[in-house]
Formats: sequence, structure tokens, C-alpha cells
Amino acid sequence: MSLTEEELISQLNQPSKKSAAFSIVFKTYQERLYWHIRKMVLIHDDANDILQNTFLKAWNGLEGFRGEAKLSTWLYKIATNETLTFLANKKLKNNHSIYDIEDIMIQNLKADTYFNGNDAQLKLQKAILTLPEKQRLVFNMKYFEDITYEQLEDILETSVGALKASYHHAVKKIEKYFEDKD
Amino acid sequence: MKDKKETTIEEAGKELPFNVPENYFNNFTLQMESHLSSKPTLPRKTIKPWMYMAAMFIGVLILSQVMFNVLQTTKVINDDSYESYVLSQINENNIIDLYVESYEENN
Repeated sequence: MSLTEEELISQLNQPSKKSAAFSIVFKTYQERLYWHIRKMVLIHDDANDILQNTFLKAWNGLEGFRGEAKLSTWLYKIATNETLTFLANKKLKNNHSIYDIEDIMIQNLKADTYFNGNDAQLKLQKAILTLPEKQRLVFNMKYFEDITYEQLEDILETSVGALKASYHHAVKKIEKYFEDKD
Repeated sequence: MKDKKETTIEEAGKELPFNVPENYFNNFTLQMESHLSSKPTLPRKTIKPWMYMAAMFIGVLILSQVMFNVLQTTKVINDDSYESYVLSQINENNIIDLYVESYEENN
């Protein structure tokens, strides 16, 4: 018998049921969160590390979570923050390199065993990497996952209007990228 | 140009061009369960009400001491200021003249 979100949150706050409840949480959300992270970092090993950190953070932060937001929103927020932190650290480490971090990411992607895209898909990934990180997030979540603007508003703490504008500009930039590279 | 552009984006589609190792998500679940069962939950630090009262009392004491010192310093500064003000209103030559007059009167 599957639990409702309220029941699950209630069990997460009961010491005797917490572990079992949390197992349900990562079985339910791991794939969604993994792909959300992977779209940003591109490489499987990096996505795996960030996903683990996400769930560890969630586990340690359970006592502070009282169900004010949806469980999925809360988890997405943690995953997003972990991803952005990872990318920021990666940029810092790359500070002295003559190559942009985005160029390095594309080179790594081409060499990655777990990339199976065609030329058009690789081009789309290159185009997405030209976007600023927050805009990349908006584009990925809207284009690939079709998350509603209202859900995005909760996850990214940005107004629906700003998100719509961001997505619209992202699409325009990507279209222009395809035109220029043809 | 427009057709070529649309064709290219259509070719890219909405499928993600990524895959994962075989059984990745099953293994991830097992890995996380094993990891979390070996990790004790960080105990929540509970702060008892008397600790709040004690902290508040100490805070009030420290604040009182600070305020008292500030007031004392202000008083001294004010006293100093008053004396400086009075002295600033007196011309040195007037003091000398007064002294000379007083001396002459007495002698």
C-alpha cells in the first residue's frame, strides 16, 4: 500500500520509521533527480557523486523539513544547489586553464562512455552550454522535463514572469547557435 | 535556412543523449541504504529553556556593564567639554590683566 506524501513526511519525522521512509524517498526520486543533475554536469560519475551528496544532505536536513513545501520541490532545491556548487568549484579549479570550462565539459562528454547522442544532440548540448548556468537550468527543466512554471517558481525561487522570459531568451539563443553553426 | 534550422533542432529532439551503467539505479539504492545504515543520525542539539534564561541574564549583565561604561565616559567627556568650553571663552590676556590688577590692588 503506497503512502501519501503527508504520511511519508510524517514517517520521516518518526525515529523508528525514518530509515524505511527515506528508502522510499530515494527509490521514488532518485531517477528524476539524477537526470536533473546529469543534464547540467553531463558526465555520469559527476552526476552520481552529486546525487549521493543530495540524498545525504536531505537525510541530515530531515529534522528541519516539516512539509512546508512538497517533498519533490525540497529535493530538487537541494540537488540544484549541490549541482551549482559543483559547477562553481569546477570553474574555480579551472581558473588557470586557457580553455573555458564549457569546452572542457564538451570534450569530456564526447569521450564519455555514457554519452550516446547523435551530431544534432551533441550540437544541442554545446548550445545549452553557452547559456549562463541559471538559464541552463530553466531551459533543461522546461525543454526536457516539461516542468510547469509554477513548479519551477518554487524550486528556483524566481517569479513565473522571469522564468518565462529566461526560457524564451534561452530558446532564441539556442536557435541562433544552430543558425550560426550551420 | 529556417527549414534547415528546424530540421536540426528536430533531429536533436527531447530525448537525453545519456545513458547509465547497467543496474545503476538498483545499485544506487543499495549503496545509499548501506551508507545510511552505517551513519548515525546527527543528534539534534536541544537547548533547554533554562539555558535561554541564563543566556538572556548574562546578556543583560554584559549590556548593563557596557552601558554604564559608556555613560561614565560620556560624563567625563561632558565634564571635560564643559571645562574646555569655559577655558575657550577666556582670553589669556584677560587672565593676565586680572592677575596684574589683583596684584596691584593688594600691593
